[in-house]
Amino acid sequence: MQFLTVFKREMLESGRNFKWIWVPLVFILLGLSDPLSTYYLPQIIESVGGLPEGASFEIPTPPPHDVLMMSLAQFSQLGVLVIALMSMGLIAGERKSGVAELVLVKPVKYSTYVSAKWAATSVLVLVSLFAGLLASWYYVNLLFGNISFSNLLATWFFYGLWLLFVISISVFMNSLFKVPGLVGFMTIVLVILTSIMTTVLDHILDWSPAKLSPYIRMMLSEGTISGDLWATALITIGISIGLLAAAIYTFRTKEMA
Amino acid sequence: MALLTVKNLKKNYDGSPVIRGIDFSINKGTCVALLGPNGAGKTTTLRMLSGLIRSNGGSISFEGLDYQTDIRYHIGYLPQHPVFHSWMSGKEFLVYVARLANLDKKTAASRADELLARVGIADAKNKRIGKYSGGMKQRLGIAQAMIHQPKLLMLDEPVSALDPIGRREVLTLMEELKQETTLLFSTHILNDAEEVSDELLMMHNGEIVESGPMEKVREKHRVDKINVVLQEGFIPDEDLITALPSVIRTEVARGVHHIFVTDTKQARDELLQLIQAERWPLERFEVGRASLEDLFMKVVDS
Repeated sequence: MQFLTVFKREMLESGRNFKWIWVPLVFILLGLSDPLSTYYLPQIIESVGGLPEGASFEIPTPPPHDVLMMSLAQFSQLGVLVIALMSMGLIAGERKSGVAELVLVKPVKYSTYVSAKWAATSVLVLVSLFAGLLASWYYVNLLFGNISFSNLLATWFFYGLWLLFVISISVFMNSLFKVPGLVGFMTIVLVILTSIMTTVLDHILDWSPAKLSPYIRMMLSEGTISGDLWATALITIGISIGLLAAAIYTFRTKEMA
Repeated sequence: MALLTVKNLKKNYDGSPVIRGIDFSINKGTCVALLGPNGAGKTTTLRMLSGLIRSNGGSISFEGLDYQTDIRYHIGYLPQHPVFHSWMSGKEFLVYVARLANLDKKTAASRADELLARVGIADAKNKRIGKYSGGMKQRLGIAQAMIHQPKLLMLDEPVSALDPIGRREVLTLMEELKQETTLLFSTHILNDAEEVSDELLMMHNGEIVESGPMEKVREKHRVDKINVVLQEGFIPDEDLITALPSVIRTEVARGVHHIFVTDTKQARDELLQLIQAERWPLERFEVGRASLEDLFMKVVDS
């Protein structure tokens, strides 16, 4: 009950401050940019003066799943930045401004409060991601070749887990710090650290959340979902739940307002 | 019957004590003023009672509640500087907090409307809170604290930041509220405490230095003193006053004769007789009622 109350209020706020417009829009733009720019690359080069005479340069047309992966790479960079920015004040902002003082003296469970906020952000991000992927998928199919809709859904599901992992980090940071800017910064630092660690310790961290992307690429090129992808997905879900639990725990033990 | 009993409550910030083990209880249906200078620990105490911050020792017990029950169902709290979601309307916010207090949808809406009318901002209920004035926000703050009909309503400095009109309105509102619930409010303004409350808790440096029913506290700190004001320009023969058997000494300040006596009843009769016999132009005659301000200053100075 209270979960829905907080969830709905969060939705209403995202609607009123136009998050429900600009976040999907950013993802759609990110999704569109790579299929279009890759396809029109020869024309773009031509229009800025072309290659020097005599230079022969074959630009191979990449396979469709490579183009979709380019879009995912966009989501991984700018998309993650957008998520960190839009969620950095999720709880920290309320604590800093003092609204939390009014809300938390009402008999609402801290776990409800934190998880409802997490859920509201997740819904917004997953919908935006779907819109972005759909835009990318449409142009990939139009300009490069076929990717099945079920593959798109699978990409959405598995890549969505990575973004939920990012949101969970942000919620956890929200419970640690009171300053939204610091929350955003630490979230990005942690996401980058996860990626770097995964690259450096590649041989040990086979199922790190940051491995979701490479496994999705394999899934798209080979057409089957590997055991590694499932395992990584499960681990990502596990870590996200762990982060959320840690956030609730910190929230409980800390003096909130 | 005590609604709330606090025993040996302590709070430290960074190792240094802010609240040094306070004990008090609040009876059902009373209006209690938590009085003290800035920094005495009033806000910290209220925040501990409301569950926003944890104590470093001691206990807070609520009548008829076991340890398991969430105390927040029974308290309403208005912080010193309430902040709302400014993009919401007054009504939306009230319904939101009502739902957080587990009221069902219908009750939440009707309770919100009722309280908005009650605190006098029904006209602005669909306006964004961002556009409310300070007084309106304070009244919305009281409404949100009352939304779930708490057994104990706690207001932190409810009138300190308001202009005289807003202050008067809120005090009148508190006067009404104390008819239906137990009220605990903090203030550093003596007049407010004297005006609305029945009981007094005076804090200083994290300790309760004085407490009890307003009248009893006054009685206790009663100074045996009679103040006499005579017509301006008239200078009485001080020796006649000091010659009275019950008078110890006199002081004159700003036209007021402060006459310190051994026994107020006897001194009153003697003085009145003297004034009548000498036909002094009497304007004011006041018997031994130490104001809270004297007490306040005494406590703060000591």
